[in-house]
Amino acid sequence: MVADLSCAKKSLIRARSKVIKFAEEHGFLKEAEDVALAAQEALKNIIQHACPADYNMHLECIADGDRIIVEISDTGVGFDVSGVTNTPTPPMASHGRGIQIIEGLMDEVRITSDQEGTLVHMEKMHKPVS
Amino acid sequence: MEIEVEEKEGYQVVSPVGELDIYTVPLFRKVVLRLEGDRRHDLILDLSRVTFIDSSGMGSLIEIFQKVQSAGGDIAYVVANPRILKVFKLVDLDEVFRIYPNLGRALQSVGVTGGYVDEEFFSDNT
Repeated sequence: MVADLSCAKKSLIRARSKVIKFAEEHGFLKEAEDVALAAQEALKNIIQHACPADYNMHLECIADGDRIIVEISDTGVGFDVSGVTNTPTPPMASHGRGIQIIEGLMDEVRITSDQEGTLVHMEKMHKPVS
Repeated sequence: MEIEVEEKEGYQVVSPVGELDIYTVPLFRKVVLRLEGDRRHDLILDLSRVTFIDSSGMGSLIEIFQKVQSAGGDIAYVVANPRILKVFKLVDLDEVFRIYPNLGRALQSVGVTGGYVDEEFFSDNT
């Protein structure tokens, strides 16, 4: 599933429902809500910080065996990834919770970013429904 | 989103219904912070009917917590939905906030007892 979304808050609900639908259709029933929230947080970061020149956010979902992969990219200003990933955010911090939620919900998260944009690659393993 | 506000023996019980996220946080903040105003208020945020929360929603809860604390007020939270509690735990707010599984427990904890019967509480102890 591939979607290009306008860089606006109104896109988040549409993106979340698309991710949930894709995940459930591919058997990721227990993971769907987690994956959708992680995707929403990554998209929200673009809206709040990246300001892509083409006003566009790219969302891609792939079902690969027992894992679901979500990639979110933009052509915005980028940021220093080392400052936000794998760094514990104090509970009362004013920002940084979005990345923390993504890392907590997903099994693997890789973020690459430079002046030409950012790619967030996220994976979640399938857990059998008990 | 609907937000219900009820006073119980000095505590304002604020109960948002629906999703607490980037879309609804402005309304939620407006209602709660206007309620808080310049006066000290004790609050119970009953999130038992919140169906979804994102980092913006968590941010609003922290802002309200800080406002109430700085005014010398008391604040407690009701979180019944395991999905919502999971997000609290992801950002370690379960270690900072006083969280109860239902409104009855929260009211009992803060000392509000007037006529409120927590059936689940009593059934747990029979």
